[in-house]
Amino acid sequence: MASLITCPHCGTRPKEEFSIRGTALGRPHPAVSEEDWHRYVYLRDNPKGRYQEYWHHAAGCRRWLVVDRDNVTHDVFGVTDAATFGRVGE
Amino acid sequence: MSLTLFHQHVLEDHLSGFEAKANPNHLAAIRRPAIFSVLAHRGHEVFVKSGLASIEGVQVRDCAPGEWLVVSTGLGAVVMENTLAEIAGASVIDQSDGRALLRIHGPNVRRILAKCVAVDLHPDGFAVGTSTNMLCCHVAVNLARSGGDTFEIVVPRSFCGSVFEEIMEMGREFALTAAFADS
Repeated sequence: MASLITCPHCGTRPKEEFSIRGTALGRPHPAVSEEDWHRYVYLRDNPKGRYQEYWHHAAGCRRWLVVDRDNVTHDVFGVTDAATFGRVGE
Repeated sequence: MSLTLFHQHVLEDHLSGFEAKANPNHLAAIRRPAIFSVLAHRGHEVFVKSGLASIEGVQVRDCAPGEWLVVSTGLGAVVMENTLAEIAGASVIDQSDGRALLRIHGPNVRRILAKCVAVDLHPDGFAVGTSTNMLCCHVAVNLARSGGDTFEIVVPRSFCGSVFEEIMEMGREFALTAAFADS
């Protein structure tokens, strides 16, 4: 079974073309405490259900994408370019 | 002591000695294409794209937003470099030595490529003139449709041998032949 991701630049592609970077977290401000940075770098919630991840379209347009999907059913609700996704949390 | 450098195509060892006549399904390895990578600076994407479209004798391949491959079998690399340098707001890199150009055509070409790529190549979805980066035989290549039954593949040079062997394997049932071509 192929998991298909619809890249906003390249169209529908199999998951083999992508590499998954993990939860789409907002990068904290450089001046925040070490505890916050530690949380940002190492700690993840690992939720079950719908959440947003960074996917890199390594074999296609080589753009960073934010894939909004359900990790139980693998329903994909939306794919956006990370540049237009915005820098939440800053 | 002088050092003599001469150009050798990366598929020389894969193709030499086979001079069979071309079958209907045929793969041509272009001997010395000029291939340039063009990146538009932020905000210059539309301007660079129209500048590339106005150059004669080259094909412009889409890679990503603001990124193209400019391919020519007629113009030399030096001519192309000078032409591309006139486009403002673009970074241009000569990739002629880093990429190889394969052209595959024939009545069964889509059935051969269906075993290599995971993209629907039906003319409704992938019309003549379309080009995009995709995975072909596990290698990230740029695939373009240059005719109804003709596709052109730009492969990174060091992966070219493996992609070539795999395409030939997939084309065996359709008697795919291969040879060098000058243009």
